[in-house]
Amino acid sequence: MTIRHDRKVSILDVMGPVMVGPSSSHTAGTARLGRVAREILDEDPVAVHFFLHPPLAATYRGHGSDFALVGGSIGLNVDDPRIPEAIRIAEQMDVDITFSEEDLGDVHPNTVRIEIRGKVREAEIAGSSIGGGVIEVFKINGFQTRFKGDSPTLLLFYRDRPGMISEATKIIAEEGINIASLSCSRKQRGKDAFMQIDVDSPLSDAALQRICAIGDVARAQYLDRIP
Amino acid sequence: MIESFKHLEQIAADRDLADAFLEADEQEHAVPREDILEALRKRRAVMRDCVERGKGGGISMGKLVGNEAKKLNEAFLAGKTFLDPLTVKAELYALAVMGENSRMGVIVAAPTAGAGGVVPGMLLALEEERHVDPEKTVRALVVAGGIGSIIALSANISGAAGGCQNEVGVASSMGAAAVAYMMGGSTRQSIHAAAMALKNTLGLVCDPVGGLVEVPCVKRNALFAVHGLTAAQLALAGVESVIPMDEIVEAMVRIGRALPRGLRETAEGGLATTVTGCEIGQRIKDEANQRRAERAAERERVARERKDGVAG
Repeated sequence: MTIRHDRKVSILDVMGPVMVGPSSSHTAGTARLGRVAREILDEDPVAVHFFLHPPLAATYRGHGSDFALVGGSIGLNVDDPRIPEAIRIAEQMDVDITFSEEDLGDVHPNTVRIEIRGKVREAEIAGSSIGGGVIEVFKINGFQTRFKGDSPTLLLFYRDRPGMISEATKIIAEEGINIASLSCSRKQRGKDAFMQIDVDSPLSDAALQRICAIGDVARAQYLDRIP
Repeated sequence: MIESFKHLEQIAADRDLADAFLEADEQEHAVPREDILEALRKRRAVMRDCVERGKGGGISMGKLVGNEAKKLNEAFLAGKTFLDPLTVKAELYALAVMGENSRMGVIVAAPTAGAGGVVPGMLLALEEERHVDPEKTVRALVVAGGIGSIIALSANISGAAGGCQNEVGVASSMGAAAVAYMMGGSTRQSIHAAAMALKNTLGLVCDPVGGLVEVPCVKRNALFAVHGLTAAQLALAGVESVIPMDEIVEAMVRIGRALPRGLRETAEGGLATTVTGCEIGQRIKDEANQRRAERAAERERVARERKDGVAG
């Protein structure tokens, strides 16, 4: 299910971002996709594997997408002047980096799937850099979604059961926070499920703790806007 | 939400265009207008800084470009340019930004990095030559961004989606509307400036040599900055586009879809597959492979040293 007030691209999205060149699709967007993977992992990565959709695989090197993807995955912002050095920095951090080509199906040309592993956790995302630094992540840890990183977001991994949406949204409502959009997906009825809630203002730690404490919630993660 | 250019003309006919965009964005994205203006003040400063750095020249990552701004600046300072100073500066500043971009310098994507020279070229040149208050330039950036955000409702702003018309074409359209605004034009004149600029870039393909944002991107930004200025000039004189802006955007999307994949940023057609383009493409591939091999050798060496260190 999906409840979505579709967002228009903002003035600041169009006249921005401030970024390291040379390509907003190949450098800024890809850095942000790497950054999404890093934020969802929520710890320093040990290994990152980038699977590039064929058109991106054909063009990524000349645009510095390799620097950008790696830079994002180790937590650099799109305007960080260290992005051209990102691969060297990652090597110093002992991060194992791999690039491969993979046909990701009927998707935007600039699409990548990222597998990222830390000491404790691992995560997987797939997303597209659709131009001007704007991204659309369509898969998180195996769940279908649509994540743009342009607003604060709550990601909820839980066991599918009745009442989960109302329990989570009740806590958010009690915080006085407006929900911009909400979507759910599940692997199977009654099994692993995922909820993405985009909110208009930041969620407090206390609220996040309460949401984590809801029965059948495996993990609740709050992400700020991805810079 | 401003749904179309027709809608924009209805709601902003007799008011300040930047105010109309700020109000809509504030409602749509819950960002206060002062925050938007402050962010754009900083971005104008980044553009300014980028122009200064770029005038100094340097060599691009792919070694194909980099000193265009330096050469034009030297000619300009020596009194050896023949165009009027506004036009020369629009070209110069666009080249400067794109030179920085090609060296992985910090720039503002406007709306993309590959088309990031057009808007600052036009706006900063006009600000300087016509002594426009920098705050007015910031508001013109609101107008440029607002125009782009309406286009983005129906079109992906990327060369991969629809060719260079979707990047440099859109940038010159945004810039033309912003220039008309800076020169005191009406909302209708801004929309027609945008329309005439965009209309005359339709079909522009994205065929970067070696897949780099260098050839033809750097010089193309300079030429289309001037293109945008001329569209604004026509609109301010009362010339109007026969085809309405909304329909031009629709045409752009259709043309983008019809473009073969080889002409949408893949470097598999157009200039990229000319004799010279292919030679350069091959050299870039060879160099990248060599760098990768060197990095792999370096990693192996480090791993060996570590192992030896442990053993010792």
